[in-house]
Amino acid sequence: MGGNISKIMSKIFGSKEMRLLMLGLDAAGKTTILYKLKLDSDVTTIPTVGFNVETVTYKNTKFNVWDVGGQDKIRPLWRHYFSGTQGLIFVVDSNDPDRLKEAREELKTIIENREMKDALLLVFANKQDLASALKPQQVSEELRLNEIAKNHIWKVEPSCATTGEGIFEGLAWLSNNVKLPPK
Amino acid sequence: MSASPPTPLGLALDHMKGATTTQHTSTNSHPLHNPLLRRVMTLPGHSYRTPPPMANYARPYPSDRTEKHVEYILVASFDIDRGSVMEHQYPGPVGGDEHMLAELMLPDGAHVRAQDWTIFFLHKDGAVEEDEEQGGRKKKKRRRAEANGQAGGGAEDDSDAEGSSSSGDESDNEPDDIDGPPLVYVLNLVNMKQDKTVKRGAVVKAMAICTRHSFLHIYKPLLLLALGEYFANPVVETLASLYEAVNSMDLSLVPKLSIYEKSILQSSEAKDLFLSKFEALIAQRMASKEKDGTHPSQSPTSQLHTRNRYGLPRDTHEFESIVKYANVPVPVKVPVALSPETVGDFSMVKLITTFATPHATAPTPFSPTHPHLTTSGPLTHPIIVLLNALLTQKRIIFLGHNLPSSEVAEAVLGACSLASGGLLRGFTRHAFPYTDLTKIDDLLKVPGFIAGVTNPAFAHKTEWWDVLCDISTGKMRISNRIEQAPLTEGVAFFHSNGAGAHHTSDKLGNPGGTGGISSIVAVGASMSAGLGGNATPASNMSGDITGDATFMNNVIAAINERHGENAIRAKFRRWILKFIRIAAAFEEVVYGATSLYIHPSITTNSPSLSIGSPRLDSPSKTSTAGGFELPPEVTGHGYVWPHSHAKNAELAANATRLEGWRNTRSYYYFIQDLAAYYVRQPVKELDLQHLHDKLSKLRMNPEASSNIYLAICAAVQSDAEISQLLSTILTGSSAADSSRNAGAIGTSGQPSGLFTLALGLFHPRLEVREQIAMLLDRIREHEAGCHFWSQLGRFVKIGFERVVEAREIRLNGDVGAEGHGEG
Repeated sequence: MGGNISKIMSKIFGSKEMRLLMLGLDAAGKTTILYKLKLDSDVTTIPTVGFNVETVTYKNTKFNVWDVGGQDKIRPLWRHYFSGTQGLIFVVDSNDPDRLKEAREELKTIIENREMKDALLLVFANKQDLASALKPQQVSEELRLNEIAKNHIWKVEPSCATTGEGIFEGLAWLSNNVKLPPK
Repeated sequence: MSASPPTPLGLALDHMKGATTTQHTSTNSHPLHNPLLRRVMTLPGHSYRTPPPMANYARPYPSDRTEKHVEYILVASFDIDRGSVMEHQYPGPVGGDEHMLAELMLPDGAHVRAQDWTIFFLHKDGAVEEDEEQGGRKKKKRRRAEANGQAGGGAEDDSDAEGSSSSGDESDNEPDDIDGPPLVYVLNLVNMKQDKTVKRGAVVKAMAICTRHSFLHIYKPLLLLALGEYFANPVVETLASLYEAVNSMDLSLVPKLSIYEKSILQSSEAKDLFLSKFEALIAQRMASKEKDGTHPSQSPTSQLHTRNRYGLPRDTHEFESIVKYANVPVPVKVPVALSPETVGDFSMVKLITTFATPHATAPTPFSPTHPHLTTSGPLTHPIIVLLNALLTQKRIIFLGHNLPSSEVAEAVLGACSLASGGLLRGFTRHAFPYTDLTKIDDLLKVPGFIAGVTNPAFAHKTEWWDVLCDISTGKMRISNRIEQAPLTEGVAFFHSNGAGAHHTSDKLGNPGGTGGISSIVAVGASMSAGLGGNATPASNMSGDITGDATFMNNVIAAINERHGENAIRAKFRRWILKFIRIAAAFEEVVYGATSLYIHPSITTNSPSLSIGSPRLDSPSKTSTAGGFELPPEVTGHGYVWPHSHAKNAELAANATRLEGWRNTRSYYYFIQDLAAYYVRQPVKELDLQHLHDKLSKLRMNPEASSNIYLAICAAVQSDAEISQLLSTILTGSSAADSSRNAGAIGTSGQPSGLFTLALGLFHPRLEVREQIAMLLDRIREHEAGCHFWSQLGRFVKIGFERVVEAREIRLNGDVGAEGHGEG
């Protein structure tokens, strides 16, 4: 019953809740993005042991964002966070083209998982402030999104976690494209 | 060093001693005679107050022990490329999955706080393979077993204890290690230091101590020092110096206590209890020093320490020692009385208030309910749900999102101790005080685990747990995917018989022999309530049939009145003991026999005696019947109810969780332990608890009560027997009971102490009065008993003096009439 009321409220006010999972290779900038969203400030982060989770409200949408550490040893853990995820934020270090192949393999494994079949995919082409960073189009090609994400709604958003550029635009895209979960 | 305890009241009773301080040496081997006759047969013996001269006193940590206090020291760090890695293991690898160990040492969220503590356990035994933990762990175990060769062996060195000739020996070698060597407990400290000079700005390192002692918290200050040192000097020598320091800690002056002495010490606030045991060890040490010049196995530094510490402990609950690390003398306090399943320095009070406070202000009904768990309906107190979940071996997770992992670890350890009560086992062995997602596959292979996590992802996975205890909100949830309770024989029994109270009362002959006075009292509505079986066993119940609501109110009141950790632990110990005793009665009613009680083989084994019809034979009849038969009210056993309806109602209300407890690990461990303890139990032929409960709960005619008084007096002679009696009094069910038991004395929730026994001083029969006076005199001279004596009121003490004086006059006027001549 409580669910029904909040459903009605969400129709009137357009407020909704969305569960997001933020993954990516180590040192891609996930935690910096999370705390930019949460605190709107640039925090110096250190490697995440385990995970961070924060709730962020933006444009009437409550985002529940899970940020999970990216070292290759702990990547097998990611699957435990899949169920119930409506949107995947995949963070890529645009300035590190050598690791894009590794990133592609990881991304492929994630979105092919059955539990992720309905999730939106937002790729942050991060660290755009650096001169040698790849452009979003290049990142999309390197990741072969047309191929590996053909069953998903996806977008590549150029971002700079430290300035906040692109971050909120990405959230807005997620919010506009999310289907309300049939409760 | 004559360690005579001070007589609290300077009563000049020395003239009595010839008659009273006799050592009954043949208690255990002698065929039990009529207690009325046996009294005469007591032999004159040496005064038990004098410790045996220069005996090799039993000590749990002798100085020539082979096992180390600390077996391993580990250091792990979080590598920004590789994740958690092990940096050093000293003196060698622990064995097993090194990467898994490193992950445990660097808990989730280690990067957000400067410091955190975790605790986890290693099942490093090799010999005993627990069937529950086969599968994924098997390989690891085997590897660990290989590494075991260098571990200094797990077998306890008993040579010291066995050479002892002191009187408390019977309870040595308690069956703690029935199922293999103890767990390896790991205390781990994590530090995160911001450091601009390193890549990505911070260093996260952890240092852990692996020990087989459950009091691992004493190493906290040492780990703080050593990890600080390791940040400055990240070399293996830092580990080595800590290893040397902790293993040179001298605990050889800690006396070994029997199980009863431990239970007395834990329940008492007195600071000088068993002081003479410490004195005796010190005297022995001094003497051996004089003889040999020096103790063989001691390093010069530890000798210095022991000499400094020859002073007696300020509080005998703790033994104070010193570990010298990096030129810093670090004081440590080692608990003298350890209970099984009590690990670390958690606070049970904190655990209870975490869940009791939200329940008191805004109770949330449990949904779904479960017959094993919500034994008082949807609003069952969460702590009772937790207890039920532990007893019926559910999968329990403590979640502390955004909390240090030390908090969840303490909650897990507190829960283990809560359900153990120092009596049940099998909880810590299946506890994971801190774990994370990486271990989930292994965790799910363990039935009935108790795990602590900080990752809220666990909350969403209702298929992973049965009960989720969120310590950040104080809310408890039952999983909607919990396995339904099967309809078992016992539940069905009470379901079908519940309708007619008069029908069942025939079957449930109260072994207590209450005389059937109150058999007409209508139980009424209570009979139809709480019959379990369905999902909401007691939702329609108006009263508090299980007594749990009253019990929890009592606990909360005690916490609010700042009664302290020991008092609260004692309350749960009594709750668990009552649960076990009710379970025994339940099995006898439903299944006709119980494994939770051992019938003495000495007495006539006719079942009619133990099941006990409520008839009361006159004492004259039994005392003339050959002298080898005990009066029926003395041979009873088990929990005592004032009348059979109360028994029926209580068994019915508890039926579901009692059935849930049967077939669990803790149930089978208890049966195992019971047999092991029974062998060393000083008083075997009587159920002292049962007799004491009868005296305190039932209204009996003078013949019946005199038989009980005399039986207790005859059975309790030696020091060990007195210890058992005192421990029995402390855990007596009259305290944990709710007030509905007519005649219960300790309605305030406190044990009644010696009061129930002392009432025998006012018994109509002269013999009872005198025997009780002599028993009280023996207790008064006992090193723990004197504290019980001093708590008795003036009224009782005057009664005691009058009985003693009257006896004096009678004996002087009528010499030798009452079989006083010995031999």
